[in-house]
Amino acid sequence: MRIVIAEDDTLLREGLGLVLRGEGFDVVASTGGPEEFLAAVAEHRPDVAVVDVRMPPTHTDEGIKAAVEARRAHPELAVLVLSAYVEQSFATDLLAEGARRVGYLLKERVGRVDAFVEALRRVAEGGTAIDPEVVAQLFAQRRAGDPLERLTPREKEVLSVMAEGLGNAAIAQRLFITENAVHKHIRNIFFKLDLAPDDHTDRRVAAVLRYLESA
Amino acid sequence: MSSPNTVTPENRRMLRQALRSTGYVAYGAAIGVLALCTLLPVLITTLLSAARVGRPLVRPMLHWVRRLAGLERGRLRRLGQEVQAPYYHPDPEPGDSLRETVADPEVRRDLSWLFLHATWGLILGIVVLQMLSSAVHDITYPLWWYAAGTNDQDILMETVEARTWSTAVLGPVVGLAVLALWLIGAPKLLDLQTRPGRSLLGADPDVDLSERVARLTATRAAALDAHAVELRRIERALHDGAQNRIVGVAVLVGAARREVERDPARADEILARAQDTVEDALAELRAVVRSILPPVLENRGLEGALSALASDCAVPCTVTVDVSVRCPASVEATAYFVVAESLTNVAKHSRASRAEVEVRLRGSRLHVRVADDGCGGADAAGGSGLAGIGRRVEAHDGDVTVHSPAGGPTEIRVELPCGS
Repeated sequence: MRIVIAEDDTLLREGLGLVLRGEGFDVVASTGGPEEFLAAVAEHRPDVAVVDVRMPPTHTDEGIKAAVEARRAHPELAVLVLSAYVEQSFATDLLAEGARRVGYLLKERVGRVDAFVEALRRVAEGGTAIDPEVVAQLFAQRRAGDPLERLTPREKEVLSVMAEGLGNAAIAQRLFITENAVHKHIRNIFFKLDLAPDDHTDRRVAAVLRYLESA
Repeated sequence: MSSPNTVTPENRRMLRQALRSTGYVAYGAAIGVLALCTLLPVLITTLLSAARVGRPLVRPMLHWVRRLAGLERGRLRRLGQEVQAPYYHPDPEPGDSLRETVADPEVRRDLSWLFLHATWGLILGIVVLQMLSSAVHDITYPLWWYAAGTNDQDILMETVEARTWSTAVLGPVVGLAVLALWLIGAPKLLDLQTRPGRSLLGADPDVDLSERVARLTATRAAALDAHAVELRRIERALHDGAQNRIVGVAVLVGAARREVERDPARADEILARAQDTVEDALAELRAVVRSILPPVLENRGLEGALSALASDCAVPCTVTVDVSVRCPASVEATAYFVVAESLTNVAKHSRASRAEVEVRLRGSRLHVRVADDGCGGADAAGGSGLAGIGRRVEAHDGDVTVHSPAGGPTEIRVELPCGS
C-alpha cells in the first residue's frame, strides 16, 4: 500500500515513517506543508494520505483543507487525518463530502500500532475510522429531540463503535456481545433513524453520518 | 502678640513659615501677572471665534492656558497640595464651535481658574508683598525720616503723613503691628490664594468618577485581553511543544514494541530516541511553567530573579534593586516579565555593549528601568516584545515610557502600582 505523509513536526514525521515502513507499507513521500503534500499526492498517486491537521503557515486547519482538496482532486484517495486534540468541526468538515475512505484519529493512536494499522487498512478499503474521543464528544453534546435520543443506551454504544468504522465482528468483540446481537441492534438503529434497507453498506455510512451531522 | 525681638523657637517657626508663604505667594503673584496678561488674548480669541475667524488661535491659546495651570499645579505640589491634571486628552482638543469648546468642563474650569488667579490671586499676592515691604519700611522709618526729603514722609503704605519727630516714632510701632499681621496673615493669605487652583485645577469630582469608571473598564478589558493572550500563548506552547513531543514518544514506543521481537537492536535504538524526546518534552514543559510564574521569583525574590536574568543575558548587565518589601506576586511577575522581555530585546536587536536594570519601590509604586547603550529605534509597532510589555503593564494600571531614538540609547521605564 502506497502512502504519502504530511506532518510538519520532524520528529512525528520520522516516527510515522518508522512505524509504517516497519509494518511493510510503502511510504512514497513525507512532506511538511500543504502545498508540498498536494504536489506529492498529484505526483505519486498514493492509496492513502496520512495528514496532520495543524500545518504551516497558520497552524490551525491547513491540514483539513489540504485533505479536502486532495480528495476532491483524487476521489479514490483515502485520507487519514491525525490531530493533536479533538476538534469536532474538523471531523465534520472532513466528512462533509462523504464518510467513505476517511479517517480522523488522535495522533497518539499511532503508538498503538495494531489498531492504527487496522484503521489505516479500513480507510484504504473504503471504510471510516473515527477516533473514539471524537465519538464520545459528539455523544456528550447531543441535545433532546434528536432522533438519536430514541436509541437505547446499548444501541448508542453500537452506533458509536460503528462510527469509529468497525465491522460487525469487531463491534461484537469490543462490546462483549454476540454478532447476532450486534445485527439486531444495528437493524433497530436503521429503523429508528428511518434508514430504508436498500444498500447495506451505505446504510451504515448513512447512520454514522446522521450521527455525526446532528452534532 | 509676637514680635521678632523676643526670639523663641515658636516665633522662629512662625517667621520661617511667614517667609516661606511669602515666597510662594510671590511666585503665585508672578503666575498671576502671566494670567492677567493672558486674559486679554483669551478675550480676543473668544471674540474672534465668535466671529468665526479665530479658530486657528484656539488650540495654542488652550495650550498656553494649560501651561499656566501646569505652573500653578507645580506650585501646589511643592506646597504639598498635589492636584492631578485632569485632562482626558494630552493635547487640548478644541470643539468644532466656540460653544462646544466652552462647554468642555476641562476648558471651563481652566478658564475660571485663569480669571480668578489673574484677579483675586494677583491682588492677594500684592497685599502680602506690600505688607512685608511696608513693615520693613515703617520699622526703619525713623532712619528714613531723618535722611529723606520732606516729600515722601509717609508711613502705613503712604496713608499717614509723618513729618514730625513724634509721628516718626509712630513708624516703628505701626511697622511692628504690620509685621505681626504679616506673620499671622501670610500663611492664611497663601491658603486663600491657592484655593481656586486647588478646587479648579484638579479633576472635577463628578467627571473624575465617570472618567475613572471609563479608565477602569478599559484597563479591566486590557487585563482580560492580556489574560486571553497569555492563555493562548500557553496553549500554543503546550500544544506545539510538549504535547507534540509526548505524542512523538507514544509513536516511537509503539514502533519500538513492534521491533522488540524482530530486531531488538533496532528497538533499543528507537527507545533511545524516545527517551531523548521525553527529556525534550520535560524541558519544554519547564520552559512553559517558567513563563507563567517563574519559580526563581518564588524562591529568590525579585532581586535574585532579576540577577539570574541579567547573568543569562548575552549583553553585560548590571542590576540594582531597591525594594525593601515583597510586592504582590502579580506585580513581581510583571516586573520580571518586563525585564525579561526588555533584555531579550537588548540581546536580539540593540547591539548594545552593556545594559542596566533598576528596580525601585517609591511609595506604593514599583519603578522599573531598563537601559542600554545600543542602537535605539525600538518601536512597539515593530512586533517586538514592547507591545506585550505594554499590554501586561496596562493590565496592572501601570505606565510604560519608551525612549529609543534611532541611534540610541534605549531606555524603558515602567511604573507599576504596588497595592496599598
